[in-house]
Amino acid sequence: MYVRGLRCKLSFEKSLYDLIRGMRNHKGNEREYIQNCLKECRAEIRSQDLDLKATAMLKLVYLEMFGHDMSWASFHVLEVMASPKYHQKRVGYLGAVQSFRPDTEVLMLATNLLKKDLTGASTTTIALPIVALPHLITPSLALSTLSDLLPRLSHSNPTIRKKTIVTLYRLALVFPETLRAAWPKIKEKLMDTREDPSVTAAIVNVVCELGWRRPNDFLPLAPRLFELLVDSGNNWMAIKLIKLFATLTPLEPRLVRKLLPPLTEIIRSTPAMSLLYECINGIIQGGILGSGDDDDGREEIASLCVSKLRSMIMVDGDPNLKYVALLAFNKIVVTHPWLVAQQEDVILECIDSTDISIRIKSLDLVQGMVSSENLISIVSRLMRQLKSASPENGRNAAVDPADLDSDEEALEETINPRQKNSGQSQPLPDDYRADVINRILDMCSRNNYSNLTDFEWYIDILTQLVRMVPLPRPTNDLESSASYKSNIGDASEQIGDELRNVTVKVHAIRPACVEAANAILMQFDKDAPSGHPVTSGAVKPIAWVIGEFATETSSPDDSLGSLLQLIPRVTSPESLAACLQAATKVFSLIAGDSIAPWTPERKSMISLLMARIIHVFEPLAMHPNLEVQERAVEFIELLKLTAEAVSGQDAVGEAFSPEECAFPGGLGFDEPINPNLNSLLANAQPLSMPTEEADEFEIYYNKRPPPTSIVSEPAINRLVESREDVVGSYQQQPTEDAYLDPDILARRKAERRERNKDDPFYIGEGSSLTGTSTPIHNILQNSNGPDLDRERSIPVTHSSSPKPPRQKIVIAADENLAGSGGSTPRHYDSENNSDSFTKLRAKQLKQSVLLGVDSTNIGSLNLEAEPDSRGYDPEAQQREEAEMARAMKEVERLRLEMQRANERIQVAQGVDAEGTVVKKKSKKKASASTPAEGEGGDSGAAVKAKKKKKKVVVPDGGDGPNDDKQTPAPAKETVESVGEPAAVKPKKKKKKARPVEIQD
Amino acid sequence: MINAVLVFNGQGQPRLTKFYTQLETSIQQRLISEIFTLVSNRPDGACNFLPLPPILAASGTSQSASEPHNDVPSLVTYRHYATLYFIIISTSTESPLALLDLIQVYVESLDKLFENVCELDLIFNFETLHSALSEMIVGGVVIETNMDRIVSGVKAQGTVAKRPVNEARPSGLGAGLGGSFVWPGR
Repeated sequence: MYVRGLRCKLSFEKSLYDLIRGMRNHKGNEREYIQNCLKECRAEIRSQDLDLKATAMLKLVYLEMFGHDMSWASFHVLEVMASPKYHQKRVGYLGAVQSFRPDTEVLMLATNLLKKDLTGASTTTIALPIVALPHLITPSLALSTLSDLLPRLSHSNPTIRKKTIVTLYRLALVFPETLRAAWPKIKEKLMDTREDPSVTAAIVNVVCELGWRRPNDFLPLAPRLFELLVDSGNNWMAIKLIKLFATLTPLEPRLVRKLLPPLTEIIRSTPAMSLLYECINGIIQGGILGSGDDDDGREEIASLCVSKLRSMIMVDGDPNLKYVALLAFNKIVVTHPWLVAQQEDVILECIDSTDISIRIKSLDLVQGMVSSENLISIVSRLMRQLKSASPENGRNAAVDPADLDSDEEALEETINPRQKNSGQSQPLPDDYRADVINRILDMCSRNNYSNLTDFEWYIDILTQLVRMVPLPRPTNDLESSASYKSNIGDASEQIGDELRNVTVKVHAIRPACVEAANAILMQFDKDAPSGHPVTSGAVKPIAWVIGEFATETSSPDDSLGSLLQLIPRVTSPESLAACLQAATKVFSLIAGDSIAPWTPERKSMISLLMARIIHVFEPLAMHPNLEVQERAVEFIELLKLTAEAVSGQDAVGEAFSPEECAFPGGLGFDEPINPNLNSLLANAQPLSMPTEEADEFEIYYNKRPPPTSIVSEPAINRLVESREDVVGSYQQQPTEDAYLDPDILARRKAERRERNKDDPFYIGEGSSLTGTSTPIHNILQNSNGPDLDRERSIPVTHSSSPKPPRQKIVIAADENLAGSGGSTPRHYDSENNSDSFTKLRAKQLKQSVLLGVDSTNIGSLNLEAEPDSRGYDPEAQQREEAEMARAMKEVERLRLEMQRANERIQVAQGVDAEGTVVKKKSKKKASASTPAEGEGGDSGAAVKAKKKKKKVVVPDGGDGPNDDKQTPAPAKETVESVGEPAAVKPKKKKKKARPVEIQD
Repeated sequence: MINAVLVFNGQGQPRLTKFYTQLETSIQQRLISEIFTLVSNRPDGACNFLPLPPILAASGTSQSASEPHNDVPSLVTYRHYATLYFIIISTSTESPLALLDLIQVYVESLDKLFENVCELDLIFNFETLHSALSEMIVGGVVIETNMDRIVSGVKAQGTVAKRPVNEARPSGLGAGLGGSFVWPGR
């Protein structure tokens, strides 16, 4: 009302109402309008008219909500806060709450105002500072307002009481000593059965917040809390009480027995879903769920909880229940994974939910319960999700991707009812996709790949993932690219790192890895439109793989070709350095091939290749990054030398093989010294056992084990594998179709055919049947007729088939973690790129402060009063202060007398004494010599001062109240009170004067 | 505890911002816009809990349930009424389902205060919005859940302004505004 009243009075200034209307009428050029308004506010807020000031303040607060900073007005906020009129004061307090920040300096000036309003006459006025304090609180402010706040605990109005309780709690967070003074009174209120129930509820809320920080203090309250839980009938409070008990039960196991009956009763009877859920949650968190040595009651409650949660997930139509049930499962999985594993079916359903919150929670859960049995099916689900959501869908066809995307999905939805769940209304956010990728990698690589049974499948997954990594937003400025690197760039780099790890660790699969790396590299070339930079973080590890294991590639020339094409487009210096190195390695392999004869064709081919490499490397010789520059220059020079040598001599062919390139060609190191060596060696061969052993060794590590060994494997396993190939449409194949790109699928099939070419038991697909049919197969077919094949094609249901045989693959353990084969993936990460990991950690720590309340101090406070130090008592403190002031006055009086006596002497001696100068001097002297004075004459005052030092507790805590270390804060306090006893007087005067103002 | 209470409309314009810890204005705005992006992309029938916005998410994957920390905001609850979104950011010490009820109580109290409340009331009386909130939550702790007490507490602070007469809803000042609330929960 008053807003409009103001408008009538000040017709030419805008009211808040006008401002809002104006904003709505200036759609389009709002910014300009707001700037004008801000300018007006700046003028209005300086006005002497408090009404005008307050209106301007209200407008500023409104605009602050839209992000227009008003920190410049903080002093004016104080002015409005000090207004004697309630409705203006209220605006001022609102301004303070909304705009004061930790660095707001005028807060110091607000202390007296807050103290005054806390002792105000009307309840509404008192409530203002109480509500505002939690937003403004600092340790020093807490110290000075505490004494005014405490009496409000016994205010006649319950609203004031409960607000005070909460504010005291917030005070305690920054200034733990508050608790010592306030806790006894709060406890008294909690115990008081005649207390207003809403006050009791507020206390319970506060106790619940404090509970997890210092649970030991609240154990004695358990009986009363239990009483409240059983009798109160207030669901809100019951929820909090259960949460509180969940933190208490680990400390006092006997509570469990007492709690179980009422909790079970609530679970069975309550109509409130929230209370039911919190009961279950409390049981989980309180560790009440059955453990090893449990009796029947606990087992019963465990199954009751889990079944309730399960039905919460199953319930249709209330996704909130689904979400909270997953939350609860996430807590159970830490301690009771087997209980959660039983619910795998419903949880997996949630992964495909349209709701991202539910998905993320179920992902958390799935990550915790993954095993070698369900890994492939879980990852397949996730891959299908990524695939259907990735923008790549539309990229292959040259149509507007956004358009096509939605069309395609819509089509998918209508055609394929099975995919209805995963059909997306919107593409998944990039963060989510990066997150899913990270989780897939984590699940697969956990415990040194112990869950992984099929590495070739994993390589295909990795290849596919590289394509599905969300594309980085095209930005050039440094900051955003750095932040991009932290989440999305991380994902592609991690995929690359994974491929590298598998290549290094799993010897048997190495050739396939290198092929995959080549394919990925070519994909990079194809994907990024020409001229655009390739930014994927996967380039670096993949280039390394290609360079390091160049011997494993089928066509080094192609690898070199794609590397050379890629290099000019790579932007990140690290990737570039890796590419340079890799290209040189591959080239040295091509050139150093000693089997191929050194023909003129080869010579010209090598020369051309070198020219091409030099051409690609040359621009990088001026690269700003020193590492890149150095490598480029080195390789260019080396290649130039080699090129000269090649053009000069015909016989230098082998010169480039790394070991020999420095030697002149004529030396003939390769010539056998004994011309008969070959025959000698041939004779010796069958006799030398060690060589053969070495061969076996070689075979063991380098050759892939035959996919099947006829003797050792039961036939049923073969059936499983052939089923996978022949009648794939029933089981696994379709899921692969759903998430792997066609080219990967084609390669996969070809590989399988290739691998099983000589396997008499393998029956290829129709087209290849005639080509690959073996004698045995022919015989079988001839004798049994084609029926046998049909038998084979009968699908075997997954559940009845035994676990597919784990490939006999040796996975190298992490070398630098002695004795621990099962390193966690996190460790692994930190090995690989400890830098980025620590950065991530640091970021985490920094971010966790945001919006969070730092309560580290409060836990360390000891509430139990020590025998020798009395508890903090503000009244006692006030008494002491008064005494101190009296003592100081006495001291001052004595000093003045002495001074006067001194002056008299000086005057008598004829020295002119200037009053002011002497005064100043004496004041200084007074404060400086106080301790001595105290020791000599007024010992009481000195003792008090010491006591005081002890009692004023260091706000930034950690040392505990007993620490004798003298900290700056109390020291300052003493000096202040000692140094300026006179300053107390005007303060008091002010205090007396102010209430009069209020009554106006 | 409750870390923040936000109200904004379908276009992401804030109608109420209340942070129970001091936060830079620019970060506040970023948080609001990130939450708005999340909230406006919710499909129909999705649950009322949002994944943590990027600015709050510590590191996504590694922050799992294995190390719950009670001091960091971990829950973003929202409710959608007509043209408005009500959001509560809280730590794990709050009960998610109870928070949904809390929002409901807040909105119903506003409804009582304004009699058939609509977004316009809240725009022009954002001070009342603040005082109603301060009757329910102080310093991030819930102090009152009884609607009548909340309403009387606000009324004790002064008369509540009605929406301006010439801003009656049918005037069609802003597209998409108006229309009485429908309580899905009732």
